[in-house]
Amino acid sequence: MPTKAFSDRQELLKFIRRAITESPELQQFLRTFSKDEVLFRQGDPIPHLYLLLEGEVILNHQREDGTELDLITLSPGHFIGLVAFTTGNHSLTTCRCTQNTIALCIRQDEYETIMTNHPKLSNPVQKLMLSNMADRFQKNVQLESKMNALNKQLEDEGEQLKEAYEQLESSHQKLVHQEKMATLGELVAGFAHEVNNPAAALLRSSEMLKSNFGEMHLNDAFSQIFKLGLESKPVSSTDIRTNMLQIQKQFPWVKERSQIRKLAQMPDEALALILKHKKKVGLDQMVQQFESGKFIHNIQVASERIANLVKSLKSYSRHDNNEWEEIDIREGINDTILILSNRLKYLNVELDLKEIPKTCGKMGELNQVWTNILVNACDVLPNGGDITIKTKAESDFKIVVEITDNGPGIPEKIIDRIFEPNFTTKNQGAEFGLGLGLAISNEIVRQHGGFIKVSNLESGGASFKIILPVRDC
Amino acid sequence: MDRKIFILVVEDELEVMEALVNDLEQFEGYFPIESANSSEEAKQVVEDIYAAGNEIGLVLCDHVMPGQNGVDFLIELQTNNQQHNAKKVLVTGQAGLEDTIQAINNAQLDHYIAKPWTKEQLEEVVTAQLTNYIMAQRYNPMQYMMILDSVRLLEYMRTHKITDH
Repeated sequence: MPTKAFSDRQELLKFIRRAITESPELQQFLRTFSKDEVLFRQGDPIPHLYLLLEGEVILNHQREDGTELDLITLSPGHFIGLVAFTTGNHSLTTCRCTQNTIALCIRQDEYETIMTNHPKLSNPVQKLMLSNMADRFQKNVQLESKMNALNKQLEDEGEQLKEAYEQLESSHQKLVHQEKMATLGELVAGFAHEVNNPAAALLRSSEMLKSNFGEMHLNDAFSQIFKLGLESKPVSSTDIRTNMLQIQKQFPWVKERSQIRKLAQMPDEALALILKHKKKVGLDQMVQQFESGKFIHNIQVASERIANLVKSLKSYSRHDNNEWEEIDIREGINDTILILSNRLKYLNVELDLKEIPKTCGKMGELNQVWTNILVNACDVLPNGGDITIKTKAESDFKIVVEITDNGPGIPEKIIDRIFEPNFTTKNQGAEFGLGLGLAISNEIVRQHGGFIKVSNLESGGASFKIILPVRDC
Repeated sequence: MDRKIFILVVEDELEVMEALVNDLEQFEGYFPIESANSSEEAKQVVEDIYAAGNEIGLVLCDHVMPGQNGVDFLIELQTNNQQHNAKKVLVTGQAGLEDTIQAINNAQLDHYIAKPWTKEQLEEVVTAQLTNYIMAQRYNPMQYMMILDSVRLLEYMRTHKITDH
């Protein structure tokens, strides 16, 4: 097309040049411009219509921000100022010659007369004008479609960029989380090791204290009541109150309230012993012996508790070997419950851990899954409630772990989104509530070849079913 | 001293409760001690104490307990006309910043003891808080000279022109 338009233009130009050559009257409208001369400036009114015969001009537009843009270079056969000529508007561009240029230059008011007087000129000029218009129209259409394509491309690229950014953000957060867990694991392992020593020392010392104390007793009554103290169980405050009333009747001569309370925490056997020996041995001393036994017992129980907590903390985090290995998932669940006992003690936790085959897994990572689901359950049950954890083998190849709560359940409109990274209903900034818990859980279960099925129970509350294949390592 | 002033210990772990009560033994001659293993039980105990015409001078309360937590219990106590005079001390290892702020702002918490505590520290806090209580209630400080902060009580008597008679 441009070639045809170009040759048409050259053809018409020939006629025009000839018409000018033949008519001296027309030659007076010819004007020459030297290189870099400006025909008109942006914003000027344009009183003339220019038809470029020789040379070249460039149209330049200055934008509002002051930057300049070269719009188009015009060659012989093109009109300049056509729009301004037909509409009477001021020029949108500045026109500057890039070469020495010759143009036919006709004033608006002379146009009609000249055309009428010179039919040889008017015919090709009008045709050329039409060709110019058609040319511009075509360019406009091309430009429009090109712009559309560019816009579309820009939009696509923007979309891709957004997606890439989101992916980057999510994997960044996952990495940070993993890093945190790894650091936490290291800390826990170090901490557990350090606490183990004093816990062992406590346990051993209380054991020795027990035997030393036992041997020290010369008096039979002391020895007996000390042993009762060693075996005693703590008494609840309600029972203490009831027993205190009883003690006041049984030991009317005891006036001190603190002493009455101590007696109220003793088993009947111990009270009988005191009554039996009350003539020979002072009540205060008997109470003291009983309490000593109880204190040693308390030390033992407490240090055993510390040792157990440390043990499960270690096995929970499995920092030493977070490798694929044959594992019994129930061990991990039990460790997790112990680790979370601080939060779970608000709730009734029912365990139904049926025999399941061992499978190949990473204990530490699976424990994260139980932790995430249990912590979520605790969060939706701020005023207490029930949590049930069940394991069963659905076949020789399939293990199902189901964790249910009797909370409000998961709103239907978000149930499909809870595994998305960064999806959270909790406020940011808390220790939990990164919005990654379930996304990471899902990923961990996926890596174990399984999947998580989440649903709401008819009775209210949510159910998380973790379905895992039984695999060999 | 017909109207008794009680110390109430609220703690769900029995061994810990026992240890707290044992450490407070020396106050018992003047301030009988009551204990409860949950907020719910504590409320009943409080009610019974007031119903018997006695009052509570000091509450030592754990935070993390099954059922209502310690901070919420103290806030509830604070909203009660009769009971809000009691001095309130949180004895806990686990109250987070949020809960503690809540306790200070809404329960007018008087002191915070972090677990594990020492006997000296506990006695010091209890002595100070009970002394505050006696002065705030404008009770005659004379009878508490032996057990509470006698320096502050004497100063109080001097400034308020209270005599032994």
